[in-house]
Amino acid sequence: MIRSTYLVTRRDYLGYVSAWGFWLGLLFTPVIIGIFMFAPMLAQNTQPTRYFTVIEQGDAFTAALRENLTSTEATVARAMLDPLSVVEDSDSEALQSFDTAIDDGASVAEAFEQAGGNPALLPRQDFVEVPAPVTNSADLAPYLAGEALVDTADGPQPLFAAIVVNQETGEIEYWSENLQARTLISAAEQAEEDLQLDRALASVNVNRDVLRSARSARRSVKQQRLRVGDEAGTDTEVTQTDQAPFVVSIMMAFSLWFLIFSVINYLLMGTIEERSNKIFDSLLTSVKLPHLLAGKLLAVLLLALTLMAFWGFGSGMITWFMRDAIPPEVASGLGSLVSAAANPALFVPAIISFVLGYLMYGSLFLALGSLCDTIQEAQTLMTPLFVMLMAPLLMLVFAIQDAESALIQIMAWVPVFTPFLLILRMPTEPPLWEVLAQLGLMVATTFIILQLATRVYRAGAVHGAGVNDVWDFFGKLVPGKKSAA
Amino acid sequence: MSGETPLKMTSVSKWFGGFQAVRNLDFEVPKGSIVGFLGPNGAGKSTSLRMALGVLSPDRGEVSLLGAPPNLESLKRVGFLPEERGLYKKMSPRQIITYFARLKGMSAGDAKARADELLEMMGLGDFGRSRVTKLSKGMAQKVQILSALAHRPDFLILDEPFSGLDPVNQQALEDLIIDEHKRGATIVFSTHVMEHAERLCEKIVMMARGRKVFDGTLEEGFAALGRAVHIGVSDGFDLQSTLAPAGFEALQEGDHWRVSLKNGQTSQDALRASIDLGAPITSFTPQEARLRDVFVSLVSEAEAQDLTDTLAADTNEGRDAA
Repeated sequence: MIRSTYLVTRRDYLGYVSAWGFWLGLLFTPVIIGIFMFAPMLAQNTQPTRYFTVIEQGDAFTAALRENLTSTEATVARAMLDPLSVVEDSDSEALQSFDTAIDDGASVAEAFEQAGGNPALLPRQDFVEVPAPVTNSADLAPYLAGEALVDTADGPQPLFAAIVVNQETGEIEYWSENLQARTLISAAEQAEEDLQLDRALASVNVNRDVLRSARSARRSVKQQRLRVGDEAGTDTEVTQTDQAPFVVSIMMAFSLWFLIFSVINYLLMGTIEERSNKIFDSLLTSVKLPHLLAGKLLAVLLLALTLMAFWGFGSGMITWFMRDAIPPEVASGLGSLVSAAANPALFVPAIISFVLGYLMYGSLFLALGSLCDTIQEAQTLMTPLFVMLMAPLLMLVFAIQDAESALIQIMAWVPVFTPFLLILRMPTEPPLWEVLAQLGLMVATTFIILQLATRVYRAGAVHGAGVNDVWDFFGKLVPGKKSAA
Repeated sequence: MSGETPLKMTSVSKWFGGFQAVRNLDFEVPKGSIVGFLGPNGAGKSTSLRMALGVLSPDRGEVSLLGAPPNLESLKRVGFLPEERGLYKKMSPRQIITYFARLKGMSAGDAKARADELLEMMGLGDFGRSRVTKLSKGMAQKVQILSALAHRPDFLILDEPFSGLDPVNQQALEDLIIDEHKRGATIVFSTHVMEHAERLCEKIVMMARGRKVFDGTLEEGFAALGRAVHIGVSDGFDLQSTLAPAGFEALQEGDHWRVSLKNGQTSQDALRASIDLGAPITSFTPQEARLRDVFVSLVSEAEAQDLTDTLAADTNEGRDAA
């Protein structure tokens, strides 16, 4: 068995890795993921500046709107100066310098520069206020329609929007030909809320700085956990190390899902190729069917491990070369993640889940491929399987919020979802019997699926069963419905 | 090869749903022989060969391949060319032949050397490292044949090996079969082109409608058809009445009479009797027995029998229903 399985594995594996598609996927997947991660930032930088104007008797609302837009820019600038500021209790020196400059009346760019940042790196302003070209809202039409341009520092430009504070009705009107963009409307709504708050506070002779002081005096809610055993007596405050297993479990579950999703297509396509090329009979007189299937599953498993090794090694190399540029807090966080991943209580169930999950889904796709002559035929059968494979991805979202939620606990007992959800549950330290029972159920289900897949594969490979036979089979299950045959 | 019978099928039957593809098939392939497995399309030849190899399991009966039920060990000594041709399109002929030879137990080095030797022998040396997609249909078929015999099997089963080949390549394949036979291999091949079987086979097995209709040597096949002479006579002359007293049966077929030869009668006997009895002979042609005639005769008989059986069954059903 070992020799024939090895030969099948070797042939299939070399066939996959010698294909251009594999290398394109290997190299471009990280690039595509990177693009997705940085796309919002790129999109923001490439978005053209939009010009708006405010028509108001007086300038109370206009000032509130300016302050709101400046506050948004300042938030972005603060995040750029110190990315960890959102999770830290105290401000860094750079942020304190920035805030002081803003309080002294500096613009965001000036304050950013004073705090040691390069203003050229700041994202371009999304919205720039320009003086109103007309005093009456009824005369705005040609500007909003793009027939007339407004004067700006960058020369004549089209007017994106106009905000009119109507003295007669007391309403604030937002005029723009773009009905989808909500950012400026939201800023105007927030500005109006701030303005009314200021007025309310002023009516009772309270300065708005009181609110700021109250905010800075707020006490933080610190998450604590019980320390028992070896940890008894240590600080009870929840740290990055405590959170790391949850983060790692989510990463592992997603990686498992992503790997299975990435490689099962190879099984499908490989089998379709053998069926359409009519190689089954030659193969089946040279190797036993279970050995053939084992070889095919192993080949694609090796392919998945190649992908993991390549991406893991690449990430490691990048981290190593950038080690000096990584802030100590980030390095500490990475260290916690690596330690959590190395914990056998997490990685042993993860490896078992990965192997069983792969075998379950892999054998299903292998069986599916044996029934199809073309990828078009396969697509008709793939939809239910893809829906089944997408469900764990949706559950990851729930698990991120609460890995102990009832939904996750219940769904973890469904064997086809267990590979993903058991990993997510491991950091919550479920009872050992539950872990063993779910692993046992997963093993039994994998065995049953492998048996069924072998039978379906035999039907497809030996007897030439096809997609129509599948519909015919399901047709017979529907009471009162006659089969197609 | 030890003394075991390469292939023995005993009372083998196979159904696909309600359709019986093979009916109670018995036959044996003697060691060292070349056996032609003949029959029209749909006769059950491929199904029988796939059962012989263990790809399909018989629903009834037993199959013995090289002395045991088909298993991986015995299959390592068998080379098989399936009816449906196919190769891995992204591999080269050399890789394919090597792959299948290794699956059959050859070492990597031996398999590669054997692949090179066979490709050279069949004039495919220059294409050994090209992708299969670059080969013509005939070349690809040769590659598949080579991958079936690369491991020097004791027993070769070739399902319709000549189909799709041009006359030159058909001759090359015949030569290859003869070479393999000289090497000591037992060979079974299925075909519906009788000329190949006439030239190559010592024994033939004929199937029609899932049944074996003949199993024997070529001579036995011709004997089954019956020998005869064709005698032409002047218009209106009744040859049947003339020859009957001499013990000959004559049957008019168009413009001539077919005189059957039985019990050691020869064509010379028929000619002499006709002259002696005053028949006005205009032509005389001894009938040359062709395998094709045997085939058509036996298959027609089987089909007629099948039709009779079906009608009888329908009649019985109708009677039962009434």
